[in-house]
Amino acid sequence: MNKRRVVITGIGAVTPLGLNVKEFWAGLSAGKSGIGYISYFDTSDYQVKVDAEVKDFDPAKYMDLKIVDRTPRSVHLAITAAKEAMEMARLDMAKEQAERVGLVTSTMIENDYIIKGFETLQKRGPRRGDPLFITKVSPAVVSSQIGMLIGAKGPNSSVNSLCASGTDAIGTALNHIRLGYADVMITGGSDASLEATAIAGLNMLGALSREADPANACRPFDLNRSGFVYGEGAGIIILESYEHAKKRGAPILAELAGVGWSFDAYDATAPQPETQAVAIDITLKDAGVKPEEVDYINAHGTSTRLNDSCETKAIKIVFGDSAYRIPISSNKSMVGHIIAAAGAVEAVASVLTMINGVIPPTINYKTPDPECDLDYVPNVARKAEVNVCLSNSFGLGGNNCCLVIKRLSER
Amino acid sequence: MPIEKTLKDIVVRIVHCDEEILTPTSTWQDIKADSLDLVQVLVAVEDTFDIEVPDEDLSEFQNLGDFVKYIETRLAEKGNA
Repeated sequence: MNKRRVVITGIGAVTPLGLNVKEFWAGLSAGKSGIGYISYFDTSDYQVKVDAEVKDFDPAKYMDLKIVDRTPRSVHLAITAAKEAMEMARLDMAKEQAERVGLVTSTMIENDYIIKGFETLQKRGPRRGDPLFITKVSPAVVSSQIGMLIGAKGPNSSVNSLCASGTDAIGTALNHIRLGYADVMITGGSDASLEATAIAGLNMLGALSREADPANACRPFDLNRSGFVYGEGAGIIILESYEHAKKRGAPILAELAGVGWSFDAYDATAPQPETQAVAIDITLKDAGVKPEEVDYINAHGTSTRLNDSCETKAIKIVFGDSAYRIPISSNKSMVGHIIAAAGAVEAVASVLTMINGVIPPTINYKTPDPECDLDYVPNVARKAEVNVCLSNSFGLGGNNCCLVIKRLSER
Repeated sequence: MPIEKTLKDIVVRIVHCDEEILTPTSTWQDIKADSLDLVQVLVAVEDTFDIEVPDEDLSEFQNLGDFVKYIETRLAEKGNA
């Protein structure tokens, strides 16, 4: 099958490193940490003390106050990132055919609103439930709110595959364009689900870092890593068919060349390297890229004991000995794990890596682990020409999804 | 605080309109309030004044002045109960 080529024409990000792409890249390339102490609730009785929060974000600066009132924080972050991406892409809906512009995004339900909704029910009874309950807890609301705001009438939906969601959404959007359902897709993810119930639950699985010092908490691939750091944020990408982008003179940042999926069907929490390798392999084939052509891997790299060693094994299965020459780094070491938006934020970071010719480091790396013996670009960013980037997302529970982002070659 | 002022504060907070445009003859359409705004105002009025506003009574107030009179009536009924 001849696949329509799809390119990336705009990117936007709101992350623990800043409120836009410029601040995000400044932090990533400097090896800065966006991880700090949890401010959203009192952690005195909690074993988890740190997280990665978006700081100083006032949604009223970016959107109508009614949207701020009626929608959850994930929508506020997503709209802000989407506006940035659309501006970068010079995407003007007045010049587009509305039915050919769509959205696929990913998000996680914000438990705070469910808890408040239940409290309202207890207080006021069934006659007077919270009229905003559905708009605040529906996982479809990120795509639908942005779609309504800009008048995009193409495909509009939400995907969720836990930690692989952001990558999954982008891959799904890619195929919408390839199959001819849209010419432009606004895609990515937004996650502001960070709150006490989720933290307490994940803590019971031993998944979260209990380090009291933010500087030690997230240390992907390090021997003494002990869990991930929960983060929040949004990453949005504008995808277009190559023809559409060229026709309207859009800035082309990179090509989204391939996507691949697999599912472990193995364990609720433990990953399986062989199936992760399948997802990587399918992605490379979908992109028409040989393993030896990959210049950089943007790792899932959560800083859990299991993910990092399994991901290392999966990379070795696919790349063999050449795994040792490919630089690999984890953005999560700086922005934490933004769960449903992680893959999207990392796709934005991958585009920035390519454009700037600099690989962001894996920070907090102090002690090598014999089980993780590849080149993780420790602590300091590295200048490098990156033409082919593989971005991995391996979700808790076994959802695996990867992307290949390439420098565009006009042909 | 007089009922009219309390109601105006509720409407301004929820609808995000300027207080200056709220007059006794202002309708929901005049102040660009949609159905979701109306439901939220209703709930806020019930909470603030500790009254019940049955759904079937909604057609009784076409403008803010009517709504103030309605609230006064409900409060008086409550006082007499």
